[in-house]
Amino acid sequence: MIKLQDIEKIYQSDNGTIHALKGVNLAVEQGEIFGIIGTSGAGKSTLIRCINMLEIPTKGSVTVDGKELTSLKELELREQRKKIGMIFQHFNLLSSRTVYQNIAFPLELAKHSKEEINKEVVHLLELVGLSDKKDQYPAQLSGGQKQRVGIARALANHPKVLLCDEATSALDPQTTKSILELLKDINRKFQLTIVLITHEMQVIKEICNQVAVIEGGKIIEQGKVIDIFTQPQSNTTKEFISSIINHNLPDFFKDITLLPTPTADSNLILRLSFIGHSTEEPVISSMIRRFNIDASILYGNIDHIQTIPFGTLIVELSGEQVSLQQALSYLRTRELGIEVIGYVARNARAAG
Amino acid sequence: MSQEMLALLVKSLWETTYMVAVSGFISALLGIPLGIILVTTNKGHILENTSLNRVLGAIVNATRSTPFIILMVAIIPVTRLLVGTSIGTNAAIVPLSIAAIPFVARIVESALKEVDYGVIEAAQAMGASPREIITKVLIPEALPAIVLGLTLTVISLIGYSAMAGAIGGGGLGDLAIRYGYQRFRADIMLITVVILIAQVQIVQSTGDYISNRLNKK
Repeated sequence: MIKLQDIEKIYQSDNGTIHALKGVNLAVEQGEIFGIIGTSGAGKSTLIRCINMLEIPTKGSVTVDGKELTSLKELELREQRKKIGMIFQHFNLLSSRTVYQNIAFPLELAKHSKEEINKEVVHLLELVGLSDKKDQYPAQLSGGQKQRVGIARALANHPKVLLCDEATSALDPQTTKSILELLKDINRKFQLTIVLITHEMQVIKEICNQVAVIEGGKIIEQGKVIDIFTQPQSNTTKEFISSIINHNLPDFFKDITLLPTPTADSNLILRLSFIGHSTEEPVISSMIRRFNIDASILYGNIDHIQTIPFGTLIVELSGEQVSLQQALSYLRTRELGIEVIGYVARNARAAG
Repeated sequence: MSQEMLALLVKSLWETTYMVAVSGFISALLGIPLGIILVTTNKGHILENTSLNRVLGAIVNATRSTPFIILMVAIIPVTRLLVGTSIGTNAAIVPLSIAAIPFVARIVESALKEVDYGVIEAAQAMGASPREIITKVLIPEALPAIVLGLTLTVISLIGYSAMAGAIGGGGLGDLAIRYGYQRFRADIMLITVVILIAQVQIVQSTGDYISNRLNKK
């Protein structure tokens, strides 16, 4: 549905040149909710604006729904933009128009008749649940209501793609949730492809299927949300994930030296992550029974990434070193993520 | 007060109203588009053209920095060309308009700059052309501020029109100088001043009222 190839964007400003995007490649499939996450200044805003050419890439090609936008003339580009909806962090509604008139705006631009516009707007008002607010002005609405108007306006021309530029960043958590629900709903109902940029991992976790992590104008990691969450590679990604899933060790480990290799009487500290069905298997208890070792749980968490359960456990195993190694090999044969955090001297924690 | 004086007052009031109304209309007609061009040709705006922007900006500044009384005399040839004479009420309309056009342009420019660029971006994302952005986004969004700016222009024109007497334009200000000041008619002076104050009040309140009605923020 969307294909970005080798996108470069260089700004010339008075204080020199800014290389905002350094060769970005992205492919978004029809019907996906694709999230792009990055810190401010990472280039995500520029990137999403390249998709509808609000920012014209310095190099590279942008293809949306089979049309290469980078090769189009101004007039054709405007026609194509009508098929790409966009919503914004600050809503960007026309303050001089009522809710009804704001939603009607893109239809006016597309030269629809009054009757067609009316029919469509009434339908959209219902979809976003604002039928009773149609004659109010944006200034009279709450943030969440304004974003609903923004969404209705973006959907007016039956777009194939919806771009969300930090659409929930100015909203409180409760409202964010309801807006994300609405987006998910629209995605299912119309098979609408959604690309969103955000700096909140929560948003990615709630609704995205695919995620790309952008840093310094480059995509540093990309894949299915569940994979990125369970096996983050880069530090930036790990940091984003740690904002909602604790990947750090409990504080008392700070004062304890972790050894990379076992000694005769050291305990093994492991991080186990369970995805999907493996969360239902009694792995720990069978391991304890089989190898005659002890396990104490230092940290545990079970979360859902959309409908998939996803758990993390940090355990400390103690017992004969041979048994510990056998247990480790056993765990490796199961369907779960294992990370050896290190070895600690027995009693180290008690002493600390 | 004599019948004669009353007739003179009414005539002067009409002359002022006429001069201000016509020059106000002309300056809005030409100043608003000029203001729009000044904004939209700015760097990074929808019709970016920095050289045109710079030239227009320089012309506007030059006109605005010329004292009105000098402008009035300096453009006498232009006035003669446009209205056929260089004296009288109609002749005064030309310098009044020329002085007010750049004033309106700057006021419209600052009103349009207040429109959040995000709204323009949203319109672009919906496939709006520059023309649609100007007529459907910029002007409606800035209208309350534009109305206030035009109100200010009309009030300035009432002030400027007092100087129109220098080229025989007539009007209340001229009456106040010739009768009230030069002939020591304190009563005439007082009445003209009161009328001028009332005129300014009416214009300001009307402008405020319209602007408030338009403002949905």
